[in-house]
Amino acid sequence: MKKFAILCDATCDLNEQFRTQYDIHVVPGHITLPDKTDLPSPMKWDRYSREEFYANLKKDPNGFKTAPPNTQEFANAMETLTADGTELLAMTISSGISGAFQFASTAAKQVMQAHPEARIRVVDSLRFGPGFGLMAVHAARLRDQGLSLDEVTEYLEANKNRFHQAGWLDDLSFVAKKGRLTNAKAFFGTLAGIKPIGEFDYNGLTTVIGKVKGAKAAYAVLMEYIAQTIEDPEDQTIFIAQTSRLAQAEVYKQMIEERFHPKEIFINDVFPACGINIGPGLMAAYYLGKPISEDLSQERAIIEKQLSKEE
Amino acid sequence: MAIRRINGIELERMLRSGLANLQQHEEEINRLNVFPVPDGDTGTNMCMTLAHGLQNAVSTTQINDFLKTLSAGMLLGARGNSGVILSQFFYGFSQELSRSVLIGPGELRSGLIRGYRMAYDAVLQPVEGTMLSVAREGIEHIRAQITRSSGIDVILSMYIAEMRRTLAQTPEMLPVLKDAGVVDSGGAGFILIFEGMLKYLHGEPVESAEPAVRETAAPSPSEPDLSLFDENSTFADGYCVDYLLQLMNGGSYDQHFRLQNYIDRLQKYGNSIVCVQNDKRVKVHVHTKTPAYIIQLSQKYGEFLTFKLENMQIQHNEHDRETQQVKNKPLSVVAVVNGNGMASLFASLGADKVIDGGATMNTSAQEFVAAFEQLPADEIVVLPNSKNIILAAEQAAGLFKAKHVTVIPTASYAEGYFALAMDMPDSSDVSRRIQQMLRGAKDVVTVSETTASRDWSYHEIRCRKGEEIAFLGGELVCVNSDWKAALIDALLMIDGAEDKETGVVFRGSGVSEEQEAALAEAVAEKLPLLELEFIDAGQEIYHWVLGVM
Repeated sequence: MKKFAILCDATCDLNEQFRTQYDIHVVPGHITLPDKTDLPSPMKWDRYSREEFYANLKKDPNGFKTAPPNTQEFANAMETLTADGTELLAMTISSGISGAFQFASTAAKQVMQAHPEARIRVVDSLRFGPGFGLMAVHAARLRDQGLSLDEVTEYLEANKNRFHQAGWLDDLSFVAKKGRLTNAKAFFGTLAGIKPIGEFDYNGLTTVIGKVKGAKAAYAVLMEYIAQTIEDPEDQTIFIAQTSRLAQAEVYKQMIEERFHPKEIFINDVFPACGINIGPGLMAAYYLGKPISEDLSQERAIIEKQLSKEE
Repeated sequence: MAIRRINGIELERMLRSGLANLQQHEEEINRLNVFPVPDGDTGTNMCMTLAHGLQNAVSTTQINDFLKTLSAGMLLGARGNSGVILSQFFYGFSQELSRSVLIGPGELRSGLIRGYRMAYDAVLQPVEGTMLSVAREGIEHIRAQITRSSGIDVILSMYIAEMRRTLAQTPEMLPVLKDAGVVDSGGAGFILIFEGMLKYLHGEPVESAEPAVRETAAPSPSEPDLSLFDENSTFADGYCVDYLLQLMNGGSYDQHFRLQNYIDRLQKYGNSIVCVQNDKRVKVHVHTKTPAYIIQLSQKYGEFLTFKLENMQIQHNEHDRETQQVKNKPLSVVAVVNGNGMASLFASLGADKVIDGGATMNTSAQEFVAAFEQLPADEIVVLPNSKNIILAAEQAAGLFKAKHVTVIPTASYAEGYFALAMDMPDSSDVSRRIQQMLRGAKDVVTVSETTASRDWSYHEIRCRKGEEIAFLGGELVCVNSDWKAALIDALLMIDGAEDKETGVVFRGSGVSEEQEAALAEAVAEKLPLLELEFIDAGQEIYHWVLGVM
């Protein structure tokens, strides 16, 4: 039987190497630059270098805008991929922060109406960036193990709440402004060395579950957080995402390698589709672990316990 | 002939003379305050504290009633550390005499002892060489000589003489005084009060050159917003009525005015009654929906000197409007700042109530209590942001029982900033939030810089007026003709400075962006790891305040 295809939007932040390795297709959304240029969301640093892009973004956060692929764009990509009878798994960025899932769902319906033989399943990842990308990689691996479209879809629906984010977002001015954080108004922008620890909540939004003073203390708390939430690290691929925090990500990567010996660990870029909404301050690891509690109370308790222990 | 007994009215007059004496030397006491920047205000703080007590005090011959109302007013009006200590002294004095109708030699002795003990208890770490030592030794050295036949005036003379002796010793007890070549300002102010009291007994009362109560920094109540009450409004709260009634002689007026009887009848028409009679005048505060009955009742006995009436529903609606944003919040934060820039900064950081402490006027316990009352949250956190205000905040927290108040003893804006930055406002776990703010304020090193307002010396360090001086944790550490050099040198004196990674910089008023760029460059050169967040805060006094962690 022919394997099904996987289609993601550009916020999965999988670079060309991963896309080729895992045979994952991408339908880009749109970004608008301060000079009103409209571009397909890039998935490599060609027009700008990473540093240039985030420096420009920091200067003019409102000048940059993003839009997910619209229904027609999703539909076109879906039609192309299913034209030869291939089944399709479409995955989107969290519906908590984007309309992509709605658009993709509508598009899938349209395509299946026009082509009754087409089979498309749409999954809301409830994640963004490399967290979403990691989930797509898991889907591709299960596909390679021979699981069917329905089996993989069911696995994702049952397990997406196990994809963790352990890291900090130390410039909240972006997320707050763009409404991509729970209770965004409650947080102020840059915090002079204070590291808000962010985890995904049940609805696919990033929530601050703790705040730690200084990078050193934050690394220590994060290592403990990972230890208490990860499952079978030695069998895992871990992604570390960083928007403009490469140096810190390198340190973090080394610490994770030394303590958890994961099968693989990569530092991933966050490209403009997500980066514009997150800003330069993200540095986080993504991995598969224990299910996240509905109100994040267990996750908050882990951070609090660790902070009290250090006092 | 020796004076063996004094009553409440006499004590009040003595204290008015004491206050006037202190006021005459207020500036002198301010200058004694050893701190080369102009936030030395011990004299002002003590004057305002005592004045507030006298304003609140009920004139009565009963010594216990007078002292109770005096000390309650002082506790609330206390400003600055010296004001808090002074108010605690009188609170102790009042507690000791709570059953006394008159003061005799024995009462005076035990009152002065209880007073200083209460003052010591009020301070977390009592420091010798201050008002505390002066008050303690003053009475301890003479208590054995006081007998039942000692005159009040004689005891006070001895007390003052002993206190002066101790005051002269304060530079030996506290090196910071010796270095500056001054005696303790609070102790000096304390003695001035008792000197003024003694002068009254000697028949030479010191007359006040100024009104007993000064305008405070607190904003004056603005005109009510009349749009908040219209034909569809509910009238549930009634009127707040204040008046001063002159009891009249003459046939058409009832000559049998009895205060208790009058209060009983007022209670039929209203509540929240406060009624004080001073001879033939009665001052009344009452809340009522039917002021006509009260006017009618009062005119049986006399005529109004003043009469003020306010629709409380308007105040209520205004209050609702103001507190709407903070409604339903489980926890509110009160921060003390100086200047508009800092006020809006702290408000934007999430403080629910910002009190402008002013450049030289310390926030009183009463201003804190007023702020606590305004906030609907049951849990309140206070960030005093100055070591001169911590005690007053703690005093207010102790006085205010209606809500749970936590004072996070932030001694600088930088500590307050980090406390707020660590807060987790969306958490419903209030104790966790307080814990987070305590963590935020902890281990922040504050470095500040300004221009010396006078010549000064501290330990090995001397500065001349006009020189640039930098402080580390409140202590003068660097003097230089160049502000940047002074600041950088102070930064380099921080323990483990080269390993510090982050900090915040508050730019004061009158400091330019060019200077900010110059500072950023100099820091990058000397401390390359240190990343600074610059904030245009516009504070007065200090050109720069840096918090490094």
